[in-house]
Amino acid sequence: MTAGTTTGTDPSNWTARLRNRIVGLVPPGQALPDSQPIYVASWIYVFGVLTIASLVIVIGSGCVLAMGGSTWWHVSALGHYVNSVHLWSVELLFGFMVIHLWGKFWMASWRGGRAMTWITGVALFTISIGTSFTGFLSQSDFDSQWIGGQAKDGLNSVGIGAWFNVLNPGQMLMWHIVLLPLIVVALTAIHVILVRRHGVVPPLDTDVEV
Amino acid sequence: MTDGVSIVAEGAGRYVDWGVIQISVTNLTIIAVMVILFILALVLPFPSGHGSDDGGDDR
Amino acid sequence: MTRKTLDSHEFPTRPYDLVKEFVIALIVVLVLSVGLAAAFSSPDDPPLTMAGWAQAAPDDVIVTAVGELAGTTTSATYGPPYNSAAEGQKLGPLPLQKLGGVRTPVDSTSLVLDPLSKVVGNPVLAGALAKWNAAPEDQRTKWATDYADAIGAAATDEEPATGAGGDPSKAAPGDYGPVPTLSAGLLTLAQGGGLEGALTSSGDFYGSDTTRSLLLLSDGAYLEDQARAKHLGGDQWGMMNEVGNAPGQPWMWLYTFWYQVPPFSTSDNADAQVWGLMILLTAVLMLVPFIPGVRSIPRLIPIHRLVWRDYYRRNKT
Repeated sequence: MTAGTTTGTDPSNWTARLRNRIVGLVPPGQALPDSQPIYVASWIYVFGVLTIASLVIVIGSGCVLAMGGSTWWHVSALGHYVNSVHLWSVELLFGFMVIHLWGKFWMASWRGGRAMTWITGVALFTISIGTSFTGFLSQSDFDSQWIGGQAKDGLNSVGIGAWFNVLNPGQMLMWHIVLLPLIVVALTAIHVILVRRHGVVPPLDTDVEV
Repeated sequence: MTDGVSIVAEGAGRYVDWGVIQISVTNLTIIAVMVILFILALVLPFPSGHGSDDGGDDR
Repeated sequence: MTRKTLDSHEFPTRPYDLVKEFVIALIVVLVLSVGLAAAFSSPDDPPLTMAGWAQAAPDDVIVTAVGELAGTTTSATYGPPYNSAAEGQKLGPLPLQKLGGVRTPVDSTSLVLDPLSKVVGNPVLAGALAKWNAAPEDQRTKWATDYADAIGAAATDEEPATGAGGDPSKAAPGDYGPVPTLSAGLLTLAQGGGLEGALTSSGDFYGSDTTRSLLLLSDGAYLEDQARAKHLGGDQWGMMNEVGNAPGQPWMWLYTFWYQVPPFSTSDNADAQVWGLMILLTAVLMLVPFIPGVRSIPRLIPIHRLVWRDYYRRNKT
């Protein structure tokens, strides 16, 4: 039984096509299922959700920093504390993300058509590194000066520095708080949708030889 | 309570030297904690609500 | 022989509350974040100022200014994206730095001359600027180079002292044109705070691009000396580190590792080579699902038996 696609066969109706596409992203009932396959029974499975939770705290603390402005944390004790929350939530984000990566590798979680889940995950790891890097450049402290001066050599050596100027804090701040978070959130959504679409990968020893 | 000038600039923290490797005690601690968490996640039993040996619900 | 993974939806299920799990995870991370922040705070080393540089290392300011005028500083000889003074680094045969183009043009002499040209009420300085601007190119270079040689450098572990050992006040008399006045003028301007933002704002009210200020600062030795004292230098695994005992960037371990070992540690193209290598390794990581051998490691080293031991025990066939 399908739901809600009463006139869904009209190919010229963009709304119907979009709706069908969205509905078809995950099997029925699998977007937020209240059950899981019985093999999902290990603490290693919590590190994905811990990573997402960390991202929420990172963005939340970042929003509070944004309310005060880019130099607020230098002049306000509250601002400095929020900066500390932002720093430690980032450390937690990377810690949980990497443990999640270790787990997914040893479980060979790319099996069963899940290569894109793995690829989006590695992309998220890489872009997170870039996001934290632009964060350091936005601190307006000694680190920002030194890190910018050093990183420019790496980026310039491969021609990227001609387009992405790490010595320009105005540019780096906007990459850090606008462009890169949008990419991170979008990729996270795609990654999670893929997990719900394919389901959690079955145990290695249940693979059959054909 | 704080202003930028009164925060004393910090030098280097504590580091561990081992051959070509130099790593801060803090970073080393973070990595060690991550490895321990990984191992614990693998070995600690997960509450799965199974009362008997005949597996979970079939749906 | 190929293997097929079964459809996860065909396995028996048991109740699981994803939303509750997420809320618990959120609370855990929130508690950890606010707790760690309260316990350990975060570092806030004040940025170097031009005035601070001038106060702590006045000789370094003079030497840097002379170097800009002589065209011998790091920025003056950098190449793209700042100028065409060098080709830049290559990745194998690929001149990637050159291909980027000179898109952030910076004339290193302007780092000294632009702020000085805005000083009013100093006829001696104005005269020196006029003399510099009226002189032909090779005369300017000769003045600046001769003065730089006369100042010289302090002794190091490998080399004896040259010139006046790096002390401008002890430089031997000679024909250095307006260079001593110009470099001393920059020091005075810096000491008085007039150099803060002078290279950022470029006459504009709002300035958020500190490229030129940072290039001038990086051309001196003071910035790097301070960084090395904080264990942030490139050959100190600095990319992973933070000042003091604050947590750094442990995830940068592999990127910075290459800089510590040959051939990268002694290569002129180290930056491009390390970048190329890390791009390659990232691509390999991304494509693990398709790489024979690597993708079989989880099967060969069966850590998965710990993850799924419950299921394997209940489903022995």
